[in-house]
Amino acid sequence: MVQIDRHDTDILIIGTGGAGLFAALHAQQSAPAGTRITIAVKGLIGKSGCTRMVQGGYNVALGGGDTVERHFMDTIMGGKWLPNQDMAWKLCEQAVVRIHELENEIGCYFDRNPDGTLHQKAFAGQTADRTVHKGDLTGIEIISRLMEQVLARPVDKLQEHRAIGLIPTRDGSALAGVLFIDMRTGGFRLVRAKTVLMATGGGPTMYKYNTPSGDKTMDGLAMALRAGLELRDMEMVQFHPTGLLAGDHTRMTGTVLEEGLRGAGGQLLNGAENRFMFDYDPKGERATRDVVSRAIYAEIAKNNTTDNGGVFISMSHLGPDHVRAKFPGMVKRCADSGFDLAGGLVEVVPTAHYFMGGVVVDADTRTAMEGLYVAGEDAGGAHGSNRLGGNGVANSTVYGGVAGDVMGADIRQMGALRDPCPEVLQAEVDRALHPLSRTPGLVQPMRHALQEAMWEDVGVMRNAPGMERGLTRIADISSELMLVGVAGDDLAFNLTWHDWLNLRSLCDISEAITLAALARENSRGAHYREDFPETGDLDASYFTVVTQSGEALDVRRDPVQFTKVRPGETIMPDGAPETLVAAQ
Amino acid sequence: MTTTPNILRVTVQRGTAAALRQETFDVPAYENQTVLDVVTWIQQMADPTLSYRFACRVGMCGSCAMMVNGVPRWTCRTHVKKVAADGELDIGPLRNLPVIKDLVADMDPFFDKWVAAEARHHPSAERDDDFDPVTAQDPARAEADLGIECINCGICYAACDTVAGNPDYLGPAALQRAWTLLNDSRDADRDGILAAVSGKGGCHNCHSMGSCAQYCPNDLNPMRAIAGLKRETVRAAWGGKRDA
Repeated sequence: MVQIDRHDTDILIIGTGGAGLFAALHAQQSAPAGTRITIAVKGLIGKSGCTRMVQGGYNVALGGGDTVERHFMDTIMGGKWLPNQDMAWKLCEQAVVRIHELENEIGCYFDRNPDGTLHQKAFAGQTADRTVHKGDLTGIEIISRLMEQVLARPVDKLQEHRAIGLIPTRDGSALAGVLFIDMRTGGFRLVRAKTVLMATGGGPTMYKYNTPSGDKTMDGLAMALRAGLELRDMEMVQFHPTGLLAGDHTRMTGTVLEEGLRGAGGQLLNGAENRFMFDYDPKGERATRDVVSRAIYAEIAKNNTTDNGGVFISMSHLGPDHVRAKFPGMVKRCADSGFDLAGGLVEVVPTAHYFMGGVVVDADTRTAMEGLYVAGEDAGGAHGSNRLGGNGVANSTVYGGVAGDVMGADIRQMGALRDPCPEVLQAEVDRALHPLSRTPGLVQPMRHALQEAMWEDVGVMRNAPGMERGLTRIADISSELMLVGVAGDDLAFNLTWHDWLNLRSLCDISEAITLAALARENSRGAHYREDFPETGDLDASYFTVVTQSGEALDVRRDPVQFTKVRPGETIMPDGAPETLVAAQ
Repeated sequence: MTTTPNILRVTVQRGTAAALRQETFDVPAYENQTVLDVVTWIQQMADPTLSYRFACRVGMCGSCAMMVNGVPRWTCRTHVKKVAADGELDIGPLRNLPVIKDLVADMDPFFDKWVAAEARHHPSAERDDDFDPVTAQDPARAEADLGIECINCGICYAACDTVAGNPDYLGPAALQRAWTLLNDSRDADRDGILAAVSGKGGCHNCHSMGSCAQYCPNDLNPMRAIAGLKRETVRAAWGGKRDA
């Protein structure tokens, strides 16, 4: 029998991005005195995940003509009428509170106008200058300040603890705790809690090119699927058009070259060094992310590519010194990686960036399972089919705070800690130990094969035959993985064991993505079907829901509830201007 | 893409504090290759038990900081060509910190000192209050902004000889953060910060050797911030005496 260490707490938070850290602070404020709070993270506190990597900023309506109603309508329109409207509303409404909290209580300092008000800019898809920022390193300011607040508080910290299973009670009616691997020792630890926030942060890293932090591998959604929870909008993978392309052997590949490069006049060139964007859209390189991503994908399909299979971004016509002055961080990062962004050509490719899909929750972050709450990128619904730039960190910080408040209140009605179902606990332990009793082999080639399959068959543009082929490829890789082992003689900080577990999660969620994408027979937001290019009837909008029963996944379509506004209508006052953003 | 036929000779520190050893690997060299890619190749293709830490891949989290040929660096942003002209690399965990295993350092002492330096905002306002109208042109705010982009990677802490000689020393990063707070007009506990940075492990331990500024990948200058702390703590002490 494998030893399982125990740790009991009242409130458990998994993840230390914007959602997890805010949840810890709010839980401490709202829970009764003496409440034990534990925060667990796959890496180091504040260093894992993607909040730290936010460049652009934080969407929030702060007056000057902008309103919560306008932010809400932009979010609904951007999400192509698929968002859960109650969640989208709370996101926009509470962002106003949260940004004040970040400045006044957490200590962030965002860029100012000369009169001392917060500077705000307009991202694509927004009808107001709404994005609060700290230069182009907004995420570092937010996460560093949150991190130092949490570090100083009496919260139990479990760093380099990887969650591997949600363990319900024996009757399945509630969550009893979460099983972890303490990565530093390789041992198991069961943490029992009355309430658990899952905020592990999605991350579509099953694609050949991807932007998220390397520790993100969909562990949260894979656990939720196994626990029987409903996952919505799983087909909605947002691609950023310009990821760095530097070859398969480098972790630099896929990382984001910022949106502002195109906005400032950057040109995209195909392998023959000819501009091509105007063949696809009259806005050229300034078209929206999804349009540019599809255009590059189409050029790649036509083999009009660079040596590494992408296209070029060219800035030098703007004057290398000007580019260096305007984009110092990007130029330096490219230079560190061996590329001359200011004066030369840099290879780029669309790269999987953000996952709109996630666990079905209500606007209080509650799930169908008592004791389990979900916030941030793990939660589905707030963005629908597409996330606006600047709504990601607003979403994670707003709903992390909400989760902390709600958990702190809910535990008052909860009695003792619950007893975990021993069979599920044993099954999750066995699942993690599976590779240790097989003949060791290489994991990375299988990860690579999955990423190729998802990129080619379930990528920027999709069709039914491709996705059927993709399902077969995923199933083959998934089966192969179960035959490949990892040497188990030293489990302390054994990254190869974790690579195996990462790929296990990614295979499971890749199948869910593909089934949901097959079920959506229209094109909305981030999801584009070559065989169903039309938007479809907005009034009959549906979202996909994937569930697991036994080993099989089921997918269904649920109608969108237009709880605040119907397609063709608006909640803005009569005569409100279409946009407040000055024409460029 | 062209793959150069060259092979890198890479020596890596292995093991835990109880038993450290050096191991050497031959790693294929590529045109586009960072030190993190080299470490990754060893783990994925040669020795699956090699332990290291990384997260963001783009120089925003600092998780992948290691000693490279004796110098602390972000491995994700260090091109092999920059550090291995002769094809040889020597990689170890960050200096001045306990080793967890192989290339993974225990960052807890670094962050414990961040807390000990009172390096966090002490609120003077609440969420219902307006934003403070201070602009970046305000001289104190401008001083704070010089150090605010620190990502707490620990490079300066590993580079600092004073940390190496004095385990109690709070170190450059935590002290620099304290200095940004002293220059933040919104912070409500100036006295608490000054007390925290003027004690036994405080700013006066700094010998101004400047390794922190020399090696900071973000071109920040903690030494300058610490000099500011020294002035302020002395001024506060004198002021205290006059008041007495």
